[in-house]
Amino acid sequence: MILTIRLHEVLRSTLTTPSRDLVTRTTGAAVRVTIERAIQETGSPATHLDFAAVGLIDFSCADEVVAKLLRLTAGDHFVVLRGLDDTQAEAIDHVLERQDLTVTVLSREGGCRVLGRVTPDQLAAFEAVQTWGPGTAERLAERIGWTVDRAADALQSLALRRLVLAASGTYAPLPLQ
Amino acid sequence: MRVVTVPHYLDEKAFDTLAGEIGAWPPAGRLLFDARATRWSSPFGFTALLTAGEALRAQGAEPPRLAVPDNEDVSGYWAKAGFFEHARSFFELHGRIPRRPTADASDVLLPVTPVRASQDVHDVVGRIQEQAARILTSELHLEARATMRFSMALSEACTNVVEHAGTGGWVAVHAYTWRRRLGRRVVVIAVSDGGVGFRQSLEPTEAKKYGERWGDAAALEAALIHNVSRFRDPGRGQGLAAIRRFLTAWNGKISIRSGTARLAIVPPWDDDPPLEDGLAYFPGAQVQIVIPAQDLAAA
Repeated sequence: MILTIRLHEVLRSTLTTPSRDLVTRTTGAAVRVTIERAIQETGSPATHLDFAAVGLIDFSCADEVVAKLLRLTAGDHFVVLRGLDDTQAEAIDHVLERQDLTVTVLSREGGCRVLGRVTPDQLAAFEAVQTWGPGTAERLAERIGWTVDRAADALQSLALRRLVLAASGTYAPLPLQ
Repeated sequence: MRVVTVPHYLDEKAFDTLAGEIGAWPPAGRLLFDARATRWSSPFGFTALLTAGEALRAQGAEPPRLAVPDNEDVSGYWAKAGFFEHARSFFELHGRIPRRPTADASDVLLPVTPVRASQDVHDVVGRIQEQAARILTSELHLEARATMRFSMALSEACTNVVEHAGTGGWVAVHAYTWRRRLGRRVVVIAVSDGGVGFRQSLEPTEAKKYGERWGDAAALEAALIHNVSRFRDPGRGQGLAAIRRFLTAWNGKISIRSGTARLAIVPPWDDDPPLEDGLAYFPGAQVQIVIPAQDLAAA
C-alpha cells in the first residue's frame, strides 16, 4: 500500500494562518514530523509526497521535509515526490545534490525522473529500468551495450539509493499506484 | 544628549558613517538621531535605523530621540515605507509625522516588516509575490520563474534572522532606479537584526580553524563563501549559497555587514571592495541584496 501525503493539507493543519508556501525550517520540521508519524502509523513501505497546490519551497524547508525524511527513513522505505513544478524541483535537487541524496519524482505528465546526485551510469540505468521494466543486470547490459559488471554496479547503486526495487537479482521500477 | 547625524542619503555605505557617530556599543548617554536634513533612505537605511533603535532599547538605554526629515515628500516616503509605524516603539519621535498612505501598487514592494518567527516569513513571502512578479518581469526583465527564486532568496534571508540572530529583525523590499551606480532599475532586499552577529554565532565551531584571523570578516567569509553553519547538520548552510547562485545568474549583488566587517559578492557593474574590515561596530547582521534590471541590449 502506498501512503500519499498531500503537503498542502499538512501545511494547512500545521500553520496557524493559511499559507501555500513551504518556507522556513520551523515549518519544514513540523511538516516532516507529521509525515513521519503517518508513515509509522500506517507501516506503509512507500510514501508519495504530493506537492500539488503547494506554492514555493525554499531550501531550508526542502532540507527539512525531503532531505531529512530520506535520511530518517533509510532502509526499505521508498519515497516518491509528485506534483512538483520546476522551481520546487530545482530547490529540492539543489538540496539533495549537496548531501549526496536522491529521490524519484513522478512528473505531472506521468514519467519518472531523478532529483539529486546521480552519475551518468546510474541515470542511464534508471531510465532503462523505467522504460523496459524489471530486469537483471545481464539484461540491462545486453540492451545498452555495457559489461555485466558495469550494469550490475549501476543497478545496485540505484537500489541502495532507493530509486529501484531489488529482489533476487532483478531490478524493478518503484510502485507508483 | 549626543547628536548622531543621519546622512542626507542613507544607504548601506552612509550607514557606516552613522555607526561611527554612534561610537562604542552600547553608547553612553542618550542619543538623538537627527534626520531633519535627510533626503532619501534605502531599505537598508530603514531596517538598520530601526535595528539601532531596537538594539539600544534592548540594552536598557533611554529611548533614543529621532528628529524626522523636515521635507514633507521625504517624511511622506518614510511613512509609506512603514518606518514610522515601527519607529514609534523604539524612538521618541520629533517632528511632523505624516499618516501612512493606503497601500497601492508602488515601488515599496514590502514596507518595513518585523521578522520574529517562522510565521512572519510566511506572511512576508505570501504578501510579496504578486507585486514582485510585476516588477521583476515587466521592469527588471527577468524570466517568469525569477519570482519564485526571488521569494526563495527573500525567505532564506529572513529565515537566517529567525534561526541565528537570537532576536527579531526587520525586512524591507523596494524597487527604484539606482542612478548613482548603475543607471538602471533595481529591486533591493534589506534584512537587518541586532542579534548575535556572524562572529558570535560561528565562534564555537569555527574560531579555532581560523586562529588569529578569526573575527567578523573571517566569520562572514566562512558563512558566505564556504557555506558554513553553526549546526553540524549536513543540510545547513544552504540558504546563503542558494541566494548567491541566483544572484550570479541575475548579475546581482549580496553584501552582509556584521560587527565591524562587510563582505560582498561584487558583480562587474559595481566597484565596491569585496571585503571591508575595521568598520565602526554595529550589532547583529545587515544583509542587502540588489537585483538589477537585465541589460536587454547585452542579452
